[in-house]
Amino acid sequence: MALTELNYEFKPETPKTIKDDWSHIGVVASGDLEVLIEKENALKGKTKIHILTTVVGFDDVWETVVKKFIDKTGLSGVRVSINDNAATPAVVIRRLQQAVDNGGGLQ
Amino acid sequence: MKINWDDLQSKSFYQATARERAYGMLDKDTFKELLGPRDKMTSPHLLILGEAVEFDDGITVGIGKIKKHPVFVVSQEGKFVGGALGEVNGAKMAYTLKLALKTYEKMKEKYGTVPDDRKPICIVSFDSGGVRLHEANAGLLMHSESMETIWELQNKVPYIAITGSTIGAYGAQGFVCLSADVVIANDFGRIGLTGPEVIQQEVGKDEFDASDRALIWRTMGARSKYILGDVDYLIKDTIGTFRDTIVNMVDEPMSKISKTRKVGSPQLVEENLEVVKLAAEKKIKDSKDLWKIYGNENVDEIPEMSQEKFLSVVKRRPRRH
Repeated sequence: MALTELNYEFKPETPKTIKDDWSHIGVVASGDLEVLIEKENALKGKTKIHILTTVVGFDDVWETVVKKFIDKTGLSGVRVSINDNAATPAVVIRRLQQAVDNGGGLQ
Repeated sequence: MKINWDDLQSKSFYQATARERAYGMLDKDTFKELLGPRDKMTSPHLLILGEAVEFDDGITVGIGKIKKHPVFVVSQEGKFVGGALGEVNGAKMAYTLKLALKTYEKMKEKYGTVPDDRKPICIVSFDSGGVRLHEANAGLLMHSESMETIWELQNKVPYIAITGSTIGAYGAQGFVCLSADVVIANDFGRIGLTGPEVIQQEVGKDEFDASDRALIWRTMGARSKYILGDVDYLIKDTIGTFRDTIVNMVDEPMSKISKTRKVGSPQLVEENLEVVKLAAEKKIKDSKDLWKIYGNENVDEIPEMSQEKFLSVVKRRPRRH
C-alpha cells in the first residue's frame, strides 16, 4: 500500500532551463497531480525527477512520459518533484507544460 | 513563478484554487506565502497510509495587505482529501490565526492603541469537509487550537469567513466558519455540520435524501443560510467581488464589524436556540417552511431566482443582538 517512489535523471541534447527560480502548478486531486520545478545550479545540463504516486505497476509508463517531455523541451538544470494521485499520461504532460509556462517559459 | 493578479479579479471564486483565492483577495502582489510548496512540508500520516501527499498539504496560508491593514489569509483546497484538516495543514491554519493575534498584541504594546484603519485582519476561505480521518486526533487537536485562537481574537481582530468553493464548510469546519465576525458567501457557499451522505447513512433516506440535490442546496446552501442570518453577505461569484466586499468593511470599527457575530455571548446562543425551538414547535419539514415563517412568499421560486432578484425580494430572520 505504500506510495511508489520513482527517481529519474536525464541529460537532454539541447539543454534549456526555465526563466524563474521555481514554478509550481496543480492540485493533488483525484486523477490529478502537482508539479514543482526548482532551478539548481549543480544540475547544469541535467534534469532530476522525483515522483511520488499512488499507482502501482506503471513505472515504465512514467519513464516514457517524462522522458518524452524532457527530450522534446530540453528542460534541464532543474529538479522536478511530482506528487501524483492517479493522473493519466495526458494530464501529466499537460501539467508539466503548464509548470514550465508558469515558470516564465524556457530559454 | 508569477500569478497574474489582474486576471484573478474576474475569475470565478468557485473555480479558483486555494492559492489563487488567497492571492486575489489581497492588494495587488502583496501576498507572501508561508510554508509554501517549496518547503515541502507534507503530511507524515498520509505517507505511511499510502495516500497521495501534497507539498502544501492542501492549504495556502500567508500574509499580505489590504489598504493599511496587515492581513492573515488561510485558504483551504477542497480538491485534496476533501480539504480536510490534518496535523500539518491544521497547524498552518491555527498558527496563522495566532500570528494575527500576536501582531495585534505587539501593535497594542508598541503604540498603546490599534487604529481602526491599521488593525490586523484574518480571512479564512473555507473549502473543507472537516477533520481528516486518516489523522483524526492530530487534526482535532489543531481544530481546537484554531477555535481557542478565534475566541481570543474576539473584539480584537476581525475574523472574516468565506464559503463559496466546491466543498463548502462542513463538519468541524462548519463551527469554525460560523464563529466568524462576518460570513461572506456566493451562491455556491454551503455550511453544515453533518454532510448529506452521512445523514442519509445514519438516519435513513426518509430523513434526508442525499441524491436530492435541490433538497441539499435549500437546506445547507448559501441562500437558506442568508435568510436564517448565518451568511451576512451574499455576493457574485468572482474573486474581485469578494475582495471588494472585504475592502469596503475593513476600516469600520471593531464594534461595528462584530455586530454580525453569531456566537460568543449567552444572548446570541439564546437567540440561535430560538430558531431550533421554532422549528420544533412548527414541525418544520423543509427549509421552505422556515423561509415562509420569516415572511417570504414565493418560496418555491427562491432557489431558481437570479441572485439580484433574490436579494431584492428576500426577507431575513430579524436579529435582536
